[in-house]
Amino acid sequence: MDTNLRQTIYETLSEVFETMYFTFLEPLFEVPSREEIVVADGYYEAVIEFQGEKSGRFCFYLPRKLARGITVNFLGVDAVDVNESQVLDTVRETANMAVGCLLGRIDPDGTMKLGLPKSQAASAFSADELLARPGLFLFNTEHGLLWVVYEGE
Amino acid sequence: MAFNILVADDSETMRAVVKKTVEMSGVPIGEFHEAANGKEAIAVLENNWIDVILSDINMPEMGGMELLQTVVANDDFKRIPLIFITTESSETRMEEAKRLGVAGYIKKPFVPETIKAILYEVLAKAYEHRMADMPPQGNDGGMDF
Repeated sequence: MDTNLRQTIYETLSEVFETMYFTFLEPLFEVPSREEIVVADGYYEAVIEFQGEKSGRFCFYLPRKLARGITVNFLGVDAVDVNESQVLDTVRETANMAVGCLLGRIDPDGTMKLGLPKSQAASAFSADELLARPGLFLFNTEHGLLWVVYEGE
Repeated sequence: MAFNILVADDSETMRAVVKKTVEMSGVPIGEFHEAANGKEAIAVLENNWIDVILSDINMPEMGGMELLQTVVANDDFKRIPLIFITTESSETRMEEAKRLGVAGYIKKPFVPETIKAILYEVLAKAYEHRMADMPPQGNDGGMDF
């Protein structure tokens, strides 16, 4: 993948998390070894596709703790007041905002159209499988590693 | 004196955040209505007096662009200013929205101050007589939440 595009993806995701969730992302420009990676207890997954001149999709894997944390910050409520439906909605909206914002930057003519995001509990999360993907982006957060995978042309 | 506001977004949490932001902006709110897509928004418009619409673009069933087209084409609704709050930020899309008659455009991610500023601007333009009695926009202690 083009270095400028990688940098734009890192910057866009960081901006979305900081602006909307007051959560700082530390991009890991080099993928750590499997032994160095701590896998969280559970993850939420969001997927969003785009179509047009180029087509593809982004998959986001957020540790449960991170997903709950950004939902609490987003809604400005206490952690006890956040339910599963709100967490899934926030995870979905995260994919929508991140990729929508990214397309606005890399496709100013609007040739690519964003699909509707989906989210669910990621019951089949596999760090080994994701580490083998060429379009992997990793970010350190205070609540564990955020995994983002780009699949496309 | 107060304004009736309609927020259309398929994300329930985003609607809640927009509602909170509008409440903290100082704009006097009468009724606050919500819709999960353009179709639901039209139903709200048919049954309620609405002063301003804040809408996403990328929604299921009926998106924001179609909603805007419906609003400007309807004699009963075309007086209502519509502001997009959206991730769709390509120049082409923004130009299209402008051509169709959108009153304002807020890109996600946004800071609360942006919603406040654009909402005031749009309301002032559309309802100058009602805005004259409102507190001035500016140093009001911030809107952090």
